[in-house]
Amino acid sequence: MIQDADEIVRDAAVHANICIVGGGPAGITLAMTLAKTGKSVLLIESGGLAPSNEAQALNAGEVVDETLHSPADKYRPRCLGGATSIWGGRCVPFDPIDFEQRPWIDHSGWPIGYDDVERYYPAANALCEAGEYEYDARVATPGGMRPVLRGFTPRHFDVNGIERFSCPTDFGRRYQTRLRAAANVRVLLRATATRLRASRDGSRIDGLDVRNSRDVGFSVTAEQFVLAMGGIETPRLMLTSDDVHAGGIGNANDLVGRFYMCHIAGTIGTLRVNGPSDSIWHGYDVAADGTYCRRRFSLRPDVQAGFGLGNAVFRLHHPRIADPGHRTGPLSAIYLAQRFISYEYAKRLVSHTPPTAGTWLRHGLNAATDPFSTIRFLVHWLRYRTLAERKFPSVIIRPRANLFSLDFNAEQVPNPDSRIGLAGTRDRFGNRRVRIDWRYAAQDVETVARSFDLLRDDLAEQAIGRLTLAPDEADIEAVVRRDGAYGGHHIGTARMGASAASGVVDRDCKVFGVNNLYVAGSAMFPTSSQANPTLTIVATALRLADHLGGVATRAPCVGAAEQPEPATVL
Amino acid sequence: MADSMDFSRKPVLVLGASGFIGSQLVVALSGSRTYRAVAASRRGAGAALDATNAADVRAALRDVDCVANCIDGYGMVRSTGVLCEAARALPPRRIVHLSSMAVYGAATGTVREDQAPVSPIGDYGQAKIACERAVRKYVDDGGDAVILRPGCVFGPGSVQWTTRLARLLEARRIGDLGSAGDGRCNLAFIDDVVTGIISALDASGISGRTFNICSSAELTWNEFLVAFAKALDAIPVRRVAPRMLAIETRFLAPLRRIAAMAVSSPATEAITPSLAALWHQDIRIDCSAAISALGLPRTPPDRMIAAAVRWLKSAPVSTRRGWMEPAHS
Repeated sequence: MIQDADEIVRDAAVHANICIVGGGPAGITLAMTLAKTGKSVLLIESGGLAPSNEAQALNAGEVVDETLHSPADKYRPRCLGGATSIWGGRCVPFDPIDFEQRPWIDHSGWPIGYDDVERYYPAANALCEAGEYEYDARVATPGGMRPVLRGFTPRHFDVNGIERFSCPTDFGRRYQTRLRAAANVRVLLRATATRLRASRDGSRIDGLDVRNSRDVGFSVTAEQFVLAMGGIETPRLMLTSDDVHAGGIGNANDLVGRFYMCHIAGTIGTLRVNGPSDSIWHGYDVAADGTYCRRRFSLRPDVQAGFGLGNAVFRLHHPRIADPGHRTGPLSAIYLAQRFISYEYAKRLVSHTPPTAGTWLRHGLNAATDPFSTIRFLVHWLRYRTLAERKFPSVIIRPRANLFSLDFNAEQVPNPDSRIGLAGTRDRFGNRRVRIDWRYAAQDVETVARSFDLLRDDLAEQAIGRLTLAPDEADIEAVVRRDGAYGGHHIGTARMGASAASGVVDRDCKVFGVNNLYVAGSAMFPTSSQANPTLTIVATALRLADHLGGVATRAPCVGAAEQPEPATVL
Repeated sequence: MADSMDFSRKPVLVLGASGFIGSQLVVALSGSRTYRAVAASRRGAGAALDATNAADVRAALRDVDCVANCIDGYGMVRSTGVLCEAARALPPRRIVHLSSMAVYGAATGTVREDQAPVSPIGDYGQAKIACERAVRKYVDDGGDAVILRPGCVFGPGSVQWTTRLARLLEARRIGDLGSAGDGRCNLAFIDDVVTGIISALDASGISGRTFNICSSAELTWNEFLVAFAKALDAIPVRRVAPRMLAIETRFLAPLRRIAAMAVSSPATEAITPSLAALWHQDIRIDCSAAISALGLPRTPPDRMIAAAVRWLKSAPVSTRRGWMEPAHS
């Protein structure tokens, strides 16, 4: 059932076998999966069914360098569905190398292997509605996908890796009916977790303090607690809960909030392709199940090892929208319409520097002199994006000349100095706000710079095309800074480690030293991969649900004597 | 007919032998060493018989060992009543009565045979309940009868759940239905249903019992529809928005049904509110009783779908549109 926490009376005690904090993709996946175990599941969500300014204000915080990182309340809506209510739907599994301890990357390596997660990917793919779990371009669509650049067989990149797109599925909307129907699941909306209460010896969480939107407090007790609040709120709640554990729960080794990673991503370079335009395909292919699929150039694992780089991928992309030099009507139309595009997308699409009147004029001219392409684009967008349930994933426009740019997505290496901390100011419940101090390392720049060079060399060697950098891109670090932290991917702040010295949670996602507290979602990823995190968030949540399903069965019901479990529906 | 001449095999009166399940049963019995079919239907498959006519039914019962009542649709309540009444005077060894999961109405969750109907039940479900009531009364009065409740009967010959869905998929009017297709499809493969009926004819100790029959309780409609569409080559599968489905059921379905009176085409195939409700209904038919008592086989989904597609691709359009005639007639 789904209930509004505003109906709960002051000081009420709510009990469940398993309490999940956060109704995003991880929390919803956990709740739906654990529902099958017959255990009572309580899912606490701070927002309602739709985003609201009131709930969103709780996300506000400080950003140390605002040119590098988006404001604290962006990309993470407080509502059922969480970030899936605004995501783009790109699904990509992590690569085996992402789980390995790589001598050239400090703090790399997961205490679990690729296989431990891989077996959950098919189910995760289904929950994300990204179709069949098939990520090989040669078989993903009937007859195989078209090559991006015909005849291109680069030495340093794999050309057969793909990304598949979710509808994009908003987990809140899509799975609401299932949550409502599950007799042993209770979703409490407008319920903000404000404090984890540890037992006197710190070894357990005895309860969770929760406030509803009217600031009425109540407490939740459970045998197990799972924090599934994303990479920023999860460390915030752990750090805030400092009455028994002085530095915050699970923070004996000062790891909570550290190693904060996003991705290093953006668009770079200009590629002039030599062949005829029909030898180039930078758009989507459609799988039999209807999923949009797209190829990418993936930096091979042996090349990563050989050059000491992080993981990275490139996609062939239209020229940078902000630069009117592309003379392409639809791109300029997007530029002109940027104020109608949501912050999260407009940032990626267009804005870097404030436009001048001259820029506006040149874009206006582009749109006016290329009216048919512009209209064609708008009609396609309306039909296959706006009105479609499975949405055409992104802007794909064939530029006038064989001129493209490269979209890149690169791993950010774990860096203890990049961190989420607590600010001096407080939210309306009296909790300290977050302080986001995102930092990149020289190695992150090197991954982008070197892999760009390798791709340029591969393209030149095979006479496929000429890849160049614009004068303002010559300094790759400036390019990395221009795009900053890829919005929405908040990773690593409660990392999984082999021991308490290297991680906040163990291989089962349980917080070291606290026997009934778990972390789900990208907060516990020790490394960031090149892949967008949602698919792996869902896969690892399924894995955690498997573990908790077993643990919940086996665990002694501590506190059961004084807190009898409701017999039927909780 | 060779069947009716072979007197070493026990005769089974198949009522509704020109219908989908009845015709498949007749085909299956033609290869049986134990039984031979005495096919009877109003429309001339085997002996012509008006099942609502008591004298006709009494006459038909005279020479048979048992009865498979596969009559479906219009008139089934009356004919089932007539059958039970006639059987009181001239009891066959056993009546196997084909009911439907529709008797559970809007029930959700795992449903066993003792599940009470949940409203809304629908006209079809109500009629099936009335039929079951007559059969149960017959058992209470000392008769021997078994009730089978198949899910959506799928496979070669099925117009309702094979041809119709294939047409809708091919026209891209359905596909991946999102949250509207999360219900479990409870498909009962026709061969499994027929095997279940034949087992029920002489399994001992099951008189008066009721059995759920289905082959794929775990599959959701979405999973099935996507797999079926792929097998039909109706790709790429369309993702259908809930609002489109609502427009279909509320506004377009009545128009399509009117048009269907004049012309039969994929465009006049209506998606009725009850059909859409079924796709959404999270009901899981538990047929463990039939597995243990009848040895019910459960054909895996991929084999069911492959068989259905083979039939759809090979069958003449005329047989796909109407009830398939029994192969031997």
